[in-house]
Amino acid sequence: MGARWNQRVVAGTAVGAAAVLASWLGVGTARAATALSIAAVVLVAALALISSSEFRRDHPVVARAAISVAAVDVSLVVTGFFSSTVDSNLAIGAAMSIVLLGLSFLTGSSGQISIGNGAFMGVGAFTVAIWANHHATTPIAVVLLLAVVAGALVGLLLGLPATRLRGPYLAGMTLAFAVAFGAVLNLFSTWTGGDSGLQLPYAVNAPAWLVHFFQPGTSSLTTNSVWLVDVTIVTAGIALFFMANLFASRTGRAMRLVRDNDVAAELVGISLPRARVIAFTVSAAYAALGGGLWTIINNAVTPATYGFALSITILSLVVIGGIGTIPGALIGGLIYAFAASVIAWFTAHTGLNPQGNVASQLNGIIFGGLLVLTILFAPTGIAGFVRRRWAAWRSR
Amino acid sequence: MGSFLTSRNVADVLGGLTNGVIYSLVALSLVLVWRSTRILNFAQGAMAMIAAYIGFAVLAPTTNYWVSMAVAIIAGLVLGGLTERVIVRGLYGKPEINPVVAMVGFLLVLESVAAAIWSTTSRGLPTPFSIVDWQINHKPVALSPFALYEIVTAVVVMTVIALLFQFTKLGLKLRAAALAPEVSRLLGVRVGRMLTLGWMLSSGVGAVTAVLVASNYFTGLTPTTMDGVFAFGFIAAAIGGLDSPVGALVSGVSLGIILQFVGDYLNSNDIILVALGMLIVSLMVRPNGVFTRSAQRRV
Repeated sequence: MGARWNQRVVAGTAVGAAAVLASWLGVGTARAATALSIAAVVLVAALALISSSEFRRDHPVVARAAISVAAVDVSLVVTGFFSSTVDSNLAIGAAMSIVLLGLSFLTGSSGQISIGNGAFMGVGAFTVAIWANHHATTPIAVVLLLAVVAGALVGLLLGLPATRLRGPYLAGMTLAFAVAFGAVLNLFSTWTGGDSGLQLPYAVNAPAWLVHFFQPGTSSLTTNSVWLVDVTIVTAGIALFFMANLFASRTGRAMRLVRDNDVAAELVGISLPRARVIAFTVSAAYAALGGGLWTIINNAVTPATYGFALSITILSLVVIGGIGTIPGALIGGLIYAFAASVIAWFTAHTGLNPQGNVASQLNGIIFGGLLVLTILFAPTGIAGFVRRRWAAWRSR
Repeated sequence: MGSFLTSRNVADVLGGLTNGVIYSLVALSLVLVWRSTRILNFAQGAMAMIAAYIGFAVLAPTTNYWVSMAVAIIAGLVLGGLTERVIVRGLYGKPEINPVVAMVGFLLVLESVAAAIWSTTSRGLPTPFSIVDWQINHKPVALSPFALYEIVTAVVVMTVIALLFQFTKLGLKLRAAALAPEVSRLLGVRVGRMLTLGWMLSSGVGAVTAVLVASNYFTGLTPTTMDGVFAFGFIAAAIGGLDSPVGALVSGVSLGIILQFVGDYLNSNDIILVALGMLIVSLMVRPNGVFTRSAQRRV
């Protein structure tokens, strides 16, 4: 039976080869065409695997990997065509989608909510900056892993009371943490640099061989902004892959039972405290990873970024996107990437004074309003809405 | 005697008491809403801030202080009622994170709208009494006529609320609607109306609090004036137990005094950290608050 998806891969690769030929004809330089060809073959092979329901059933992990690879592949190609401004917005948004994946997991799997994930982002952001300032030679991937570990530890510490708390109490405690985070940073001001924050001692640039191979002659500014967005997207892809597996794992299923009926969950032998702490820790670790990437993208970190307002923004994004789901988190990240541009465009076209009170508050008014409206009228967010429409359309 | 009253520790107790009654009022406001509707009102501080703006920014600056205060309280009552009718009503019986999310969204809307209308520039409020501390033998006691006015106001508000709940028929209906909505409904209590009234009362208490906070602190009135105060008020309410008005009162005042000592003997940056630590420890030891008798949650 396994032969059928093998055939699909072969057929898919053939289609990919056709795309390669087409791109050689259509694109100017041989190197750009090579890049496009590789991307096309990878995409077609991944899609061929995903499209087989049999394969998805027999090899769910590989299928999830294929989905992540396809998503990353398309994103990488697309970023090559955007301006560096759009690219850096996308990088910021992709890092945010990692944070949202974590919060989505917390809510989707255990029914809890956190209003403090902005502060957990800050933990990751400052871990990266502090480590890089003391050990400039550590590879950036290792520094990011350290940020994840730091976030997980702080999440575990704050998650311990969560073992006995329900909804609003936990939300209130995370809110208190978000409000207190600035004071925590101040407490260690010799490390965190006080109000002005920290600069990275180096810029994270594209490796020379890559620049030489694909884009000889382009300005280093462009190459580096593309490189940063690509690094972020690949990291987001890896985070997505792990999250998809976690959602589907035994732990993930146990946690959904905790969310839906914690008494029943306890009766079938699931440890409630353990499930809640794991969910909280994972969510904090993901937030820290997103924050660490922000430090790399901005090449600096300031405490003001990680205030209470950021935590509320994170909550808005995940709810509007669709809380508790993976697509919802990705949608939220996309919204974040382009929200500022869209609002600026809106301000420019309605003749509002861009420096005026109203224009500077539009962001809060729109996000806050959408947050209230979403939870009242479409609590499953955009992802849930699209899914319902899709199901209705399929069943016609 | 004089040197005792002007000593450092007495100054800390008095200063802490003045802050503490504010935390108690915020906590009381949260408890009123929590008891009636099982919702933690994260927008409490923002709603109070709006009421204060309506009392003190919409009216001319020359308007009498007491008129402005009355307008702020009425604005608070109306805003509380409207919030319950328009937003909160759709949230009853939903998963418990929905009200949290909705109220956080409402908080964001209110603060942004306030900043859009009145800007983020701080505005000073008139004070009806002197804010200069009394003196004994040319040394200041950490208590001013205004601070005394704050404490007295807080006591009056709490007494009025307590009398209303304990000794009036309306109070009985409010308690019945909160504790046993189904039975109350059968016995002819208009439960929906009582819930609206609970929100109005809570928001009215909030309005008084915001006016006191904005005229006492050197920060004045800004759209985010109440953020920090709300955090301390919530911590007080959570430590005392969201179900217990007495707990709100006691833990608010205790928190104010403890934190004043922390700020004096350690430094002001540690205040919020100690408060957070107290919250975490208290929630680990008594998840439902110190003053709440533990109750089995219904399945």
